[in-house]
Parts: sequence; C-alpha cells; structure tokens
Amino acid sequence: MTRARIAIAFLLTVVLEIAGGVVAPAQAQKAGGTLTIVRPTDPVSLDPQLETTAPGAWVYFNMLEPLLTMDEKMQIRPSLAASYEVLSPTRVRFKLRPGVKFHDGTPLNAAAVKFTFDRALRGTPPARWASLAGSLSGAEVVDDLTVDVTTREPYGPILRTLAMYCTGIVSPTAVQKMGADFSRAPVGTGPFKFVEWKTNTHVILERNPDYWGDKALLDRVIFKVVPEEGARMIALQTGDADMVLLPAPAQLPALKRDSKYVVHEVVGGRVVFAGMHAALPPLDDVRVRTALLHAVDRKAILENILEGSAVPARGVLAPSVFGFKDMQLDRLYPFDRAKAKALLAQAGFTPGPDGVLQKSGQRLSLSWLAARGRYPKDGEITEAIQAMFKEVGVEAKVQFLEWAAVFTQFRAATLNQHMFTLGWVTSNADADYSLYALFHSKQVPPTGWNTSRYANPRVDTLVEQARRSLNQTEREKLYGEVQDILAREMVWIPVYNTKEIVVTRANVKGFTVHPVEYNLWLGKVWLDK
Amino acid sequence: MLTFVARRLLLAVPVLLGVVFVVMLTVELIPGDAVALMLGEHATPEAVAKLRDYLGLDKPLLVRYGAYVGRVARGDLGRSIQQNRPVVDELADAWPATLELTAAALVLAAAAGVAAGVVSAVWPNSLFDGIARVGSLFGLSMPVFWTGLVLIVIFALWLPWLPVGGSGSSGHLVLPAVTLALPSIAMVARMTRSSVLDVLHEDYVRTARAKGVAERLVVTKHALRNAAIPILTLLGLQAGQLMGGAVLTETVFAWPGLGRLMVKAIFARDYVLLQGTVLVFALAFVVINLAVDLAYGALDPRIARQG
Repeated sequence: MTRARIAIAFLLTVVLEIAGGVVAPAQAQKAGGTLTIVRPTDPVSLDPQLETTAPGAWVYFNMLEPLLTMDEKMQIRPSLAASYEVLSPTRVRFKLRPGVKFHDGTPLNAAAVKFTFDRALRGTPPARWASLAGSLSGAEVVDDLTVDVTTREPYGPILRTLAMYCTGIVSPTAVQKMGADFSRAPVGTGPFKFVEWKTNTHVILERNPDYWGDKALLDRVIFKVVPEEGARMIALQTGDADMVLLPAPAQLPALKRDSKYVVHEVVGGRVVFAGMHAALPPLDDVRVRTALLHAVDRKAILENILEGSAVPARGVLAPSVFGFKDMQLDRLYPFDRAKAKALLAQAGFTPGPDGVLQKSGQRLSLSWLAARGRYPKDGEITEAIQAMFKEVGVEAKVQFLEWAAVFTQFRAATLNQHMFTLGWVTSNADADYSLYALFHSKQVPPTGWNTSRYANPRVDTLVEQARRSLNQTEREKLYGEVQDILAREMVWIPVYNTKEIVVTRANVKGFTVHPVEYNLWLGKVWLDK
Repeated sequence: MLTFVARRLLLAVPVLLGVVFVVMLTVELIPGDAVALMLGEHATPEAVAKLRDYLGLDKPLLVRYGAYVGRVARGDLGRSIQQNRPVVDELADAWPATLELTAAALVLAAAAGVAAGVVSAVWPNSLFDGIARVGSLFGLSMPVFWTGLVLIVIFALWLPWLPVGGSGSSGHLVLPAVTLALPSIAMVARMTRSSVLDVLHEDYVRTARAKGVAERLVVTKHALRNAAIPILTLLGLQAGQLMGGAVLTETVFAWPGLGRLMVKAIFARDYVLLQGTVLVFALAFVVINLAVDLAYGALDPRIARQG
C-alpha cells in the first residue's frame, strides 16, 4: 500500500453534531448559589503547562477547554472545534466554533490554538503534558477559524489526545501579558472563570456570563483544601462542603443509605497490579507466573481490603479505555491453590524443609518492591498477596519504601526485584498509551514503562501497527490480539480497577462523575435549595 | 545590650549556612528525583533531562550550594521547582498562618499551664491537683490528630459552634490552637507545679511569710518570679516545638501554614522550597532563643549583669 492509498483510505470526513442532544430536564434547573468542594491537596499550578495531576486538573478543566472532549461514555465530542476532518494520517483539520471569546475578551482563533501547542511542545521547558501527547508535532493556521493539527508520524490516538483534559486552549494575550503569573490565574474559554487562589486554602471560580455554550448554573465554585480524610467527611455532614472528592471508602456504605447524600461512582481508568519481572528467574517461566495468579484470591482482596471502593481488574486495561478487551482472568486463572502447586511442580519445584518450595537447592523466594499510600490500599494488598503466596509455598520478601524512592528504582535501566506493586492509568483513554509503553520490548525504562521486561516480537509488531493506523476498527482488532497474547503469558497479577467516587449532598443536581478522574465537569451542576 | 543582640544575630549566619548545607545534602542523599516525580509516570527521559538542565539540577552539589547562598545573600530565595513560583511568595502566604497558630497556642499554653501549675503547687495533692495531673498525662499522651478530630466532632458536628477547618476568622483559630496547645499546657503545668513547689520550700519564702506578707503576694511575687526561669526555658523550647509540631494540626484543620508547605516540599523533593521553609524555621528558632535569653535578664538582674 502506498502512502497515497493510505491517505485516500482514511480520507473520511466526520462532522460532529454541533449543538449536542438536549435532554429534557427531569426537574426544573435552578440557577445561582455557591458549590463548595473539598479535596485533599492544593494544585501545583492552574496551567496545564505545569500541572497534569488531578488537584490542578479538577479546577482548570472548568476554565480551559480543549478542541474536543470526551463525554461520560468515553465518546469524543466537539468542544472548541465544531467539526474536524482527517486530511491525511498525519494531519487533521479543525473548524473552530465562531464567536468564542476568552475570559479576557480576546477572540478564540486558529492563532490561539497554534500558540497553545507551540508553547506546550516547543517551550523551554516544554509542557508537562508534552510527553503524554505522543507524536503530536504542532498546529498550522489555515484561516482565522481553521487550523491543522499535525503529527510526526501516523498516530492513531490523535483525536483522543486532543480530547485530553490538559490540552485546553489558552489566551495568548493573557499568557504574554501575565508571564509566570498565568499559572496562578489562567484565562481560557470555559463556563467558569478564575477569581482567586489562596495557597493551601481555596481556589474560587465564578460563572462566565459570556460562555459560548449552555451557561453554567452555579454563581461560584469554591475548591477548598482539607487534607485530612475524616475532616473532609465531617465538612460534608456539617454542610461546610457540598461535594467531597476522594471520600473515605469505609464511610461509603453508610452514606449510600442516607438520603441526605448521593454517592456518585463509576469504574475509573486506573488498574492497580502486582507486576512480575519476566526476565528474572524463576519468573521467566510462564508456568511460575500463572501459578502465582492461581494462588491469589482476588475476590477476598476486593471484599475485605477495598470494601467496595474498587472493582476486580478485567485485564491490563480499564474497560473505559478504547481497545479494551476482557482478558477473562476469572475463567483462565481462577483462585485454585491445587492448580498453583501443580504448575509449580511442573516447573520443577519441590517442597523444601521450611515449607518454601525449592529447585536444585534454591528456595522459591521473590523480592518485592512496593510503596505505601501511593494507590488506594497498595500496602495492604501487597501484604495480602504475600500471605497468599506463602500458602502455596512461595516466599515473598517485601520492601516498603516511600514513593519517591520506589519511583527512582522503577525508572532505572535495571530492576533487581522480582515483583512490584504499581498502578497505571491510561491518560488519553486509548489502548496505545498503555499497551505500547508497558509491553513493547523497546519500552524498557528509562524509555518507557515496560517494568516487566516483557518481550514478544508479535506484540511489538501489533502495537506498532495499531499506533500507525487511523482506522479505529482495525486498531481495536489489533489491540484485542495483543490482550489475548498477554492473557496467555501474564506478566501482571491485575488486582483492581479503581472507581471514581464523588459524594455530594442531595441538593447537588446535574452532576455526573466521569471515568477519567481529571474531568470534573461542573458546567451543568446546580443547587436545589 | 545592643552589642549582645547584634553578636547573637551575627552568630546566626553560620548556623543558617550550615542548615542550608545539611538540607541540600540530605535531599541529594535520599533517593527520589524532583524532576522525575514532577513529570510523573509518563515522562520521557528526554523531557526529564531537558527540565533538569533548565532547572540547573544537573550541576554539582557545591556549585548549586554556592549559587543558592549567593542568591539568598541578595534576598532571592529562588523559585520552587514544582510550582515555578518565587519561594518568597510561597513563604509570605504561609508564615502568617503559622505565626498566628503558634502564637495563639503558646499564649494558651503559658496562661493555662502556669495557672494550673500554680494552683496545683499551692494546694498539692488536692482534688484539683489530682485532676490536673491526670489531665496533663492525658494531654501529653494523646496524639494531636486524634484530639483534633475528637474536638471537630464535638464542636463542629454535634455542637455546631465552630468551623470544621480552614482559616480566616478567629472562630477558625480556636480548635487548632487548643489542639496544638494541649500537650504544651500539660508540660508547662507539670513544670510550673514542680518548680513552684521547690521554691515554696525555700528560706526566703518562709521569711516572707514570717514577716506577714499576704499569701497571694508570697506566691505571685516571691515564689513564681523565682520559679519562672525553668518555666520560661520550657516555653522557649515549646515555641519551637509548636511551630514544627504544627504540621499535624495544620493537616487536620486544613490550616494553610508553613508545616504543610514543608511536608509538601519534602515529598516532591523540591529542595528550593524546602530550603526556604527550613531557613524560616531556623531563623525563628534563633530569634526565639534570643528572646528567651533577653527575658532571663529581665526576670533575673544577676543574669543581665553577666550578659
């Protein structure tokens, strides 16, 4: 196939609905009021250039809008772009919405899009999200309201990349005028605009009366910092807060029963797993790895440790991710100690004098690196699995270190640990992001995140092919095959898939929790007083 | 007197230089890299290298130390690595809150602690003394995050008199100040009791009583003034402790102070911000110690003459 033919094959025009379906409200919406949100930490910055983590994203997502957006069903929707057209595998043309103004009154145009991408990709230093953007190379102005976004090579996930929460278009005038201060008072086009940020205390936003779409119903939003989990829950009960982010899991059952509160939850994008170093004996033997999967009672972990705040992982990806295929873990690797022992026996291990299996005098002892508190209950699940391993004669020596120290070991070129506890979120909701960085043989740290040192030439070919294709049906098939192979060769023990949970008081209406935790959309929220 | 103050302040300079060096060395030695942490799980090695270069983190430790000290001498504490914001601004946001909380707790510790201690000493083994002694044991043993939450449940949830957390009004200050002060009240009370009890057995107290001085005057003028030196020393130490120990209280009550800023800097390995906060703490310790020394002189003229 020649380049031209590929180009023709993908010369498809997709015009998106401009207005979006208007659902008849079940209850008359009321405008006005202040919504107070409590969450544990202050943002690093309110500029995606400097901040891609949740504390900042929760706030700026309501002020800075990307070209596209991802709805709660993970479908791509228009945002600042009214329509787009894939011109070639490396070029997508966007028609911007006319008449959109930034909060400072300057118009949104193609030059502003180019400015945002130039600043992010070519700034010194580049934006924190530049490394999330794959092959994105920049934007070219066609006319005032038409802009071409280009990639260095054919890049399948381009549309999902441009729908990421952190790719919001900023006002070039404001950036130039404010300099470094922009990161503390960003200017975008969103339904809310910035009012005040008092460090470690609160960030206040107010309604943008000139918003291009359905105007926000709330007058104001206050994001308060309450680091202590117990204090956050009390603030909700006293009415000091209307919405709690990262609520205490143990209190959720009681809150669900109480009609004064609503627990909003959805399966999120992060998979927490016990990773295995597939190049380090004895874990280079697939029988040993799958034996370990059979040894783990995931149901017990979910019920007793996570107490309903998560769901069992169904593979290496979360179900909300494009390209996800159920790896059928419960069918392939049910909790079965006899099976685990049989597999280990096949691999040549015999019971040793101290109850730990051994092979030619070598005890089956695995080193394990983990942090505590980086992901929900990561320390507890590590200890639980350690105990479950012991039941089948496998010793695990767990070393708990602070996250910063663990992180340094993960990023090093060599990892001298058999196992590790880690979480992974597919930031752009496209399988490429995870399957490429985690399982391509060339993506061993520090380049990528193939901490398992997994190497399979077929998987390499498939993920490369899927990355270069812009045919989404074909990509989905390729990723399906990758996950089928991974299901046979298992280099992870996928434990749980996080839930995104937000608790509100019952008078908070119009809120839907999004599978991507960063996408905390308040544009439709209202208060029923 | 003035030369004494000036000499003491001058002596603070090598202390601060040493503090900065130790902080820098510690950050260098503990595992964890500020830039890699900041860029997160998904950063490319090129991006990490570029940012390290941009922030000057690839230079040797001593070069960075020299550059830092040079900047500090000109009044520039640098920009925080994480937020790219002048550290001076970060500190200016946080230190008034910490000062407010520490001062309130210290006043509370001094007032309640001394009062309880004196009453206990004057009527030793009385009912009040018993309650005060058990109470101080409790105050010393309970961790602040526990007492803090209990106070929140009682005074914000059950009796909605005070806000759950945050800062802004004097109402916001009450619960964190009480929580922070409790262990100090206990310590000051016990110290005051024992040192007043000691003094009450001194000859000059017997003389004062013998010459017919009213008991109230004996206690306040003769006994307490002489017992004040160890109490003052303890209060000086407590002032430093309260400031540093405010971290947990600040966390429970969402109080936007220096302690939380410092913990944040440590976890992010943001050494520039960390040095700024440590400098402020170190400077505060120097000033508090100086103030305590000057107060000794005011209380006891013999010390002032030696100084």
